[in-house]
Amino acid sequence: MLAVEVKDLVKTYDGTIRALDGVDLNIGAGKVFALLGPNGAGKTTLIRILTTQLRPDSGEAHVFGFDVVREGAEIRKIASYVPQEMSVWTDISGFENLLIYAKIYGVPSNKRRDIVEDALETMGLREVANNLVKTYSGGMIRRLEIACAMLTKPKIMFLDEPTIGLDPSARKAVWERLTSFRNEYGTTVFFNTHYMDEADLYSDEIAIINSGKIVKIGTTEELKHSVGGEVIRFTVENYAIAEDVLDRIRGISHVKDIMMRNSDLVVVVEDAESALPVVMQALGSEGVPVAKISTTKPTLDDVFLKYARTGLEAGTNIWDVRQVRRRIGRG
Amino acid sequence: MATSLRGMWAMMELELRRIRHDRTELYTRAVQPILWLAIYGTIMSNVRAIPTGGIPYIDYISPGVLMQSVIMTSIFYGLVMVWERESGILKKLYATPASRFSIIVGRSMAAGIRGIFQALIIVPIALLLGVEFLPNPLYFTLAIFLVFFISGGFAALSIVIATFMKTRERFMGIGQVIVMPLFFASNALYPITMMPPIVHYIAIFNPMSYGVDAVRGLMISGDLSNLLLDIAAIALFDAVMFVIASASSRRIIE
Repeated sequence: MLAVEVKDLVKTYDGTIRALDGVDLNIGAGKVFALLGPNGAGKTTLIRILTTQLRPDSGEAHVFGFDVVREGAEIRKIASYVPQEMSVWTDISGFENLLIYAKIYGVPSNKRRDIVEDALETMGLREVANNLVKTYSGGMIRRLEIACAMLTKPKIMFLDEPTIGLDPSARKAVWERLTSFRNEYGTTVFFNTHYMDEADLYSDEIAIINSGKIVKIGTTEELKHSVGGEVIRFTVENYAIAEDVLDRIRGISHVKDIMMRNSDLVVVVEDAESALPVVMQALGSEGVPVAKISTTKPTLDDVFLKYARTGLEAGTNIWDVRQVRRRIGRG
Repeated sequence: MATSLRGMWAMMELELRRIRHDRTELYTRAVQPILWLAIYGTIMSNVRAIPTGGIPYIDYISPGVLMQSVIMTSIFYGLVMVWERESGILKKLYATPASRFSIIVGRSMAAGIRGIFQALIIVPIALLLGVEFLPNPLYFTLAIFLVFFISGGFAALSIVIATFMKTRERFMGIGQVIVMPLFFASNALYPITMMPPIVHYIAIFNPMSYGVDAVRGLMISGDLSNLLLDIAAIALFDAVMFVIASASSRRIIE
């Protein structure tokens, strides 16, 4: 059974901005799936279509076999969703937030208290359950939101940037609890992120999305493998390398691919030991001043750079900055 | 159907819990009606130029002042929706099994819950100022019930406005523009018959007039000759507003 099945999905805003430009995607049930992409790539739009908030312009999308347009009500019973922005009421307590959602989902009154206590326990919020949410830290608010999403033990959880704006320890806490919940109930988890390490560490499968299209999909290992054997990084400071120079280096037989990332020249090769002297010599004869050299295995950053042809930070808009700041502001 | 009622009730319970945690707004919103009754009402009582059907003027205007206070709260209730749209709350609600209709109507009636509390604060104040209410618990309950529904209707109107005015500042501006004309073009402070013809017609289409008339009959004068018409008008207003608000609910989150 496929948890998510998307075929040639298109969504435009105001008739001009193509947020999704023919997305194809299949996700198996029980998987933790990461949709990785820069801001504005279409991640949020895809999640909002799958949670039946928006209608696609064309194409098809199914969640556990239910059509997002015709059978939205069925999907809303088995799926839960945590938006990127804050989504809890801050002027009531954490316990009350969960209680209201338990009522919306129609949890019978004799089970409500247990279910709410259980979710609070799982997300480590027991001590603060009766405090007003406005006294919570950013990490606690996020955990409460995820507690809301796990309340009814859904078959699939959609998380939009689940750890945006959180410090590393809060991020880790969120993921540890999410992982143990998922291991216990076998819930499919679909999350958006622009943190490589998160996709790398916690997902079974990753899709890279850029400009409304899925450009590559696979497990972390597959993706890294697809880049090639090894990566040589040349740090080139205060020097712009011309396109034709890049092309000439790309032409060297040892070189599989070449990319620029900020002031780094990233060269993908089969075997760094034999390729390094050749590439060094080529750079020297082109007059490129190299400040530092390092060789590594490909990382997800390299994967991303290869397929999306852009760094992850590109395309940040004022709205994202504001959202992140708001969360950071809450500590 | 059961899901819808559940959703609506959850929204109202949310409001009750909010009020339990913070009652400041209820108290601050009581200041304006006190001014209307204690100062305007007392002074105008001495003028005796407005035909009130033998009722003391301050008694005559207290249902109108109550209704204005409640409607003011409702008209600004859309602000909650603006905030919930900016945060992720509405998006999350729209992804739950509760229907959009039940969310919108539930939120509107949540404003009605606030309206009831508002009324329950103003009534004792009016009593202290010497207003004589009819000592009929049945009438009183029905009046409070109508306050609940009329503030729900105006909150739905507010939600419709919120879907067009997506920022707080614009919303605040338009809210002010609506409340005072509604108040003045109604029978809250003077009978409709005293109005210039144009305002007279506006007052006839002003749902607030029917609310004031019903509450005045049930709480003060005991004149229930128009009660059925009033209830019908309020029901129609609510139904139309709920339908329009639900229909525009998609706009809110897109």
